[in-house]
Amino acid sequence: MKRGYLKSSPHFFRLIKIALALTVLALMALALLIPAPLQEQANLARVPNPVKSAWFLLWIQELVSYSKYLIYLVLALAACFLALPWLTRSTADSARWFPRECRVVNCAALATCILVLALTFVAMFCRGANWQFVSPF
Amino acid sequence: MIEDFLKHLFPRAVLQRNLTLSYTLCLGGLAFTCLLLLAASGLLLLFYYQPSPAAAYPSILLLESSVWGGRYLRSLHRLASHVFLVLIVLHTLRVILTGAYQKPRQLNWLVGCALFFLAVFEGYTGYLLPMDQLALWATQTGMELLHTMPLGGALRAALVPDGVGEPASLLRFYVLHILMIPAALLFLSGLHFYRIRKNKGVLPYL
Repeated sequence: MKRGYLKSSPHFFRLIKIALALTVLALMALALLIPAPLQEQANLARVPNPVKSAWFLLWIQELVSYSKYLIYLVLALAACFLALPWLTRSTADSARWFPRECRVVNCAALATCILVLALTFVAMFCRGANWQFVSPF
Repeated sequence: MIEDFLKHLFPRAVLQRNLTLSYTLCLGGLAFTCLLLLAASGLLLLFYYQPSPAAAYPSILLLESSVWGGRYLRSLHRLASHVFLVLIVLHTLRVILTGAYQKPRQLNWLVGCALFFLAVFEGYTGYLLPMDQLALWATQTGMELLHTMPLGGALRAALVPDGVGEPASLLRFYVLHILMIPAALLFLSGLHFYRIRKNKGVLPYL
């Protein structure tokens, strides 16, 4: 065995088995505590107010509620996301947390995450009838 | 035999420092675990779900009221789908913050991006299936968002030819949700793992 290396069996496989078991058990336990919601039967004649999209799309809904042209910001973000390896110069011979050479990308990624979380929060808790801003408290 | 096959999917040896949890946090593996759990719970839900506008909601009611463990199974599937998306986002963020997307891993980055978008699409198509008010209007709003995009109108027409929640659109969402997107997710996950192994000599394995 080369220096610094370990046999996958049992070292790596043990980790995989533990992670798998813990994830499945945690989800099975949480599913007991968090029941899936079920509202009344779908009816096109009864439009709720406000109408909200699925939670993972709420940030886009919030964004386009300011201007429909902001959808192009979402598309630009998606394009940058796809092209990330070609937008930055390869620097390190091994991946590590917060490399100094990638400071700009890291800051942009964290800022985008914070923006998405903030927009999701506003859309989820601070939007009432007619998409008016309401206090979450 | 199955154990031997699974062992062959992985390298014989791994770098010791790559097994430290503080580097990968196991996020990709946990997301894949969620995908397997979703497949298992979804497979069981298929025995009761009926993909037609008139029968979908009653079939969910039947599942929740008359099938032993039916309500729990649906809760598990829904919760696992949320956690799956969260874990994929966190895994993507980890890949960015560790610079693991850089060349020569650019192909695997693209595969990961495809997995990310497919996971969101899978969540979206599954949202409609219970056919309750939440499902209908969340899907309708998603379609309005799609419509604001360039070529969104054409995409919308392909996905919902007769309106959200109508027979053809529900059937399309159903087939996409239970067959086409999961198959693509599993195929691309396999490719993702294969590419990680292929690049092992250049960057840390995980």
